[in-house]
Amino acid sequence: MTEYRRFDAPADPLSNFEPPTYRDTTAELLGEHHVGNVACQPYLSVESTCTVEEAIRELYQSGVSSLLVVEEGNLVGIFTERDVLERVAERYSRVKHLPVAEFMTSDPTIVYSEEPAAAAVAAIAIAGHRHVPVLDMDDQIEGIVSPRRVFQFIETSWD
Amino acid sequence: MGFLEDLEKEQVKDLPLRDAIVINEHTIARAAIALMRSNDLGCSVIVQREWEPTGIFTEQSVIRMLHEGASLDSNPVSKFRDPSYRCVGLTDSIRTVWDAVVEEGMRFMCVVDHEGQLVGLAGQRSLADYVCDCYARQVAVQRLGSKPWMLEREGA
Repeated sequence: MTEYRRFDAPADPLSNFEPPTYRDTTAELLGEHHVGNVACQPYLSVESTCTVEEAIRELYQSGVSSLLVVEEGNLVGIFTERDVLERVAERYSRVKHLPVAEFMTSDPTIVYSEEPAAAAVAAIAIAGHRHVPVLDMDDQIEGIVSPRRVFQFIETSWD
Repeated sequence: MGFLEDLEKEQVKDLPLRDAIVINEHTIARAAIALMRSNDLGCSVIVQREWEPTGIFTEQSVIRMLHEGASLDSNPVSKFRDPSYRCVGLTDSIRTVWDAVVEEGMRFMCVVDHEGQLVGLAGQRSLADYVCDCYARQVAVQRLGSKPWMLEREGA
């Protein structure tokens, strides 16, 4: 004889859910909005075969502080003012015709556009990178975030 | 209290200031660059007597020198000062620094005491650290470099 047991449907599965609480609107912005909401464009990129001299000309003429280095559209590194200071400046005449790939920061810290905006702050403040590439979930470049762009985003919580 | 009120109420001396690299206007660019590199800092502050800042030599100055083909060994830093130079007082509000960064794109600001003597550097990094401190519950828990777990999960 088949036994049947009574099945009590569980109560509301979200009954124990405690929504996060935030101290103010800025905390809510950082926790609930995505990196993709931070303005991450425009950005400049160069091919990895670009020479150091060309990259420095690009940095100077555009006034930006960093260039994303790409191969076939994929991010392979970032070339920043700090790379120039640390690896290029004191031997510029010897290395200016070499490819930028030899002097860039490979495997840079990145953030995904779907991560909370707080991740961009963490990349800048904790990891210590001033320019952080933003990728989508297919690892395609969406842009770059900087302290200034993050601060401008934070200001939107003041309205 | 909101973040904006914090920025207006708290003073520059409450920021995590960075020690400055101090040079004079006759310092040769190569020497300044070596100091910046060894101290992992993107600028040197040009001072005159009594530690009074008069200008700033930054990574952007270096880019300009390289682009123009200027010799690092024969040019003093004073020829390639960064035009984005500004001082801020220890008792000024943090909002002063915030506005300079957001509205004018300033990266570094020289912090001076009431006698005009250099005591440190404030700027983008200081503000980022400040935001991190204020919102540690949101910022300090982030896992950098990994895809958001819900999208990485099997079947998602």
